[in-house]
Amino acid sequence: MLDTEILIVDDEKDLRTMIRSIFESAGYTRVWVAASGEQALALMAKKMPGIIILDVMMPGMDGFELLQEIRTVSKIPVLMLTAKGEAEDRFAGFELGADDYLVKPFLPKELLLRVQAILKRTYPEKSRIVSLDAAMVDLDQAEAIKEGNRIPLTAKEYSIFEKLAGNANRIVTIGALCQTLCGDIWQGYETTLMTHIRHLREKIERNPSKPVSLLTVKGLGYKLVVKEPKK
Amino acid sequence: MKPIEHFFRKYFLSMVGIIILFLFLNAALFFSVLLWAKKSSDGSEISIHEVRNSITVDAAGNLVSTDVLNDRLKEYHSWAMLLDDTGAVIWEACLPEDLPRQYTPIDVAKFSRWYLRDYPVFVLEHPAGLLVVGTAKNSFVKYYSTYKEPYIRIILTGFTVMIAVNLIAVVLLIWWNMRRVEKAVTPILRGIETVSSGKTVSLPEKGELAEINRQLNKAGAFITKKDNARAEWISGISHDVRTPLSVMLGFAGQLEDNQALPTPAREQAACIRRQGEKLRRLISDLNLTSRLEYSMQPLRLEKVYLVELARQVACEFLDGGLQEPYTIVFCADRQSEPASIQGDEALLKRALRNLIQNSIIHNPKGCQIDLSVTHGQAGTMIAVIDDGVGVSAAQLKALTASASHIESTDEKLNLRHGLGILLVRQIIGAHNGTMHIESEPQKGFKTTLIFPS
Repeated sequence: MLDTEILIVDDEKDLRTMIRSIFESAGYTRVWVAASGEQALALMAKKMPGIIILDVMMPGMDGFELLQEIRTVSKIPVLMLTAKGEAEDRFAGFELGADDYLVKPFLPKELLLRVQAILKRTYPEKSRIVSLDAAMVDLDQAEAIKEGNRIPLTAKEYSIFEKLAGNANRIVTIGALCQTLCGDIWQGYETTLMTHIRHLREKIERNPSKPVSLLTVKGLGYKLVVKEPKK
Repeated sequence: MKPIEHFFRKYFLSMVGIIILFLFLNAALFFSVLLWAKKSSDGSEISIHEVRNSITVDAAGNLVSTDVLNDRLKEYHSWAMLLDDTGAVIWEACLPEDLPRQYTPIDVAKFSRWYLRDYPVFVLEHPAGLLVVGTAKNSFVKYYSTYKEPYIRIILTGFTVMIAVNLIAVVLLIWWNMRRVEKAVTPILRGIETVSSGKTVSLPEKGELAEINRQLNKAGAFITKKDNARAEWISGISHDVRTPLSVMLGFAGQLEDNQALPTPAREQAACIRRQGEKLRRLISDLNLTSRLEYSMQPLRLEKVYLVELARQVACEFLDGGLQEPYTIVFCADRQSEPASIQGDEALLKRALRNLIQNSIIHNPKGCQIDLSVTHGQAGTMIAVIDDGVGVSAAQLKALTASASHIESTDEKLNLRHGLGILLVRQIIGAHNGTMHIESEPQKGFKTTLIFPS
């Protein structure tokens, strides 16, 4: 993933340099910068960026205009930087096809995480296998692989697991999980959820009564502890 | 509203009071004039009774008078005579020469009513006949009048009715006039109240007070314009500061993580990053609080489940790498699980985040933060409780008393710690909820948000 080409479009030289150095110090080797919309379009013709980081406010062609321009020819993921407060306006770029946005001022870590998430979403790894402490789960086959046995997951278990794996190592709230189970009217499904979780644990945990991968966070939700894939 | 009505009622009563006072004053003046006239005219004539008592019949049957009578009569330029049954003068004192000594019944009838040759005359019965006392010409005015009884009765009742009608008319007119003034002035006073709360007014610009209404409309519009300008200005500033701050935060963060740098340099970079983050929080709080204050922040209302909302905020902190000395404990009771309100999720999350952030900022040595959602009679309560250093009673008072307005002269706005509490209060207020703060030094800080169900 580190060889993904990243294009940064911003009229502010210092900000450009800063963002570039964030990615370079994170190990990305092919980071390009453009100071204007026109420059970005010219660069896109030559390079093959995997993601574009785009400032909304630019003199001349602004970020939204450039985004519209890009969308006429390509589906490249775009993360937009906006200087408007997060609560002020619903981010206008979503309708135009932006994939995510970040409110300035942001922390380097935030930007990196967002970009990585977008990349993971857009360019999924070929085999979607999640490694856990005692088992692995093959998302494509909807199977858990424990001690050499392949155990199929039910549809509900699969959707819960997919949600947890998509937010690996982060807490997923009870509400969010119930919502994946039953849609918008999820009130009162907490016990059903607990049943599914128990079944999942039986399939992926070494000792289902002492879980180490699918953890309960009391009152809040559940967290899937995923092992980093070995490089 | 209340003070205005109160004012007019008081004004009306005072007017009625003035009229009553006025009536009493006039009555008092009238009687004092009477008294004064009587006092100043007393003693200017000789009493007819005195004259009668001075005339006696002696043993021989002659009429005799005391010696002082003549002097007294002279002193008052008066005279006296006594007529017998035939009209002849049988006794006299100081009687002018030009007056006759014999009177017919017609003469007697005439002078007893009017004058005797221009002399005002008084008559009194005496054992010996009719005593007549005259005084100097022009010293008395004599009237004689006779009225029919119904005439007097009607005059008296009419007079009473007239006074009553007058009184009622005056009171009614005052009341009517007052109503008119009240009708004209009340909208203006209400307008002033509205303007003083920082809103615009639009009063009809017609009638006698059109000019005042126009001025008030102008004042309201002016205040709003100024407020908007201020909010825009804050918005602009916060907007412009964001890009430079991004660069600072970005480079500081990288320097902090740069293993090649010596530790002190990395610590300094961390310090820059921390302060930058503080500045970032302050800017976004300031912007939002000013937008809320001037109603420029539209609420995007949707169904928000409060327990789930609190859960998500707690997860954000737990996932976001909460530092070692801090713990967050979440609990919710079963009844509150389905509780929902129509609210702006982003703003409500912001409020909860601010509260938790406050506990972290104010307790650098760490603390446990309890986030609980409970259902009670008042509605659904979200409480953020820490077991940290708390605040003194004075600080607590300042926090609870802090005005919801951003007043330009407000020095209570403790910007050092961000606009945390003020912003939370505004957000909760915009959702018709209430906020309560409890704290004691070393006994933690508790904020309760109550959303009526």
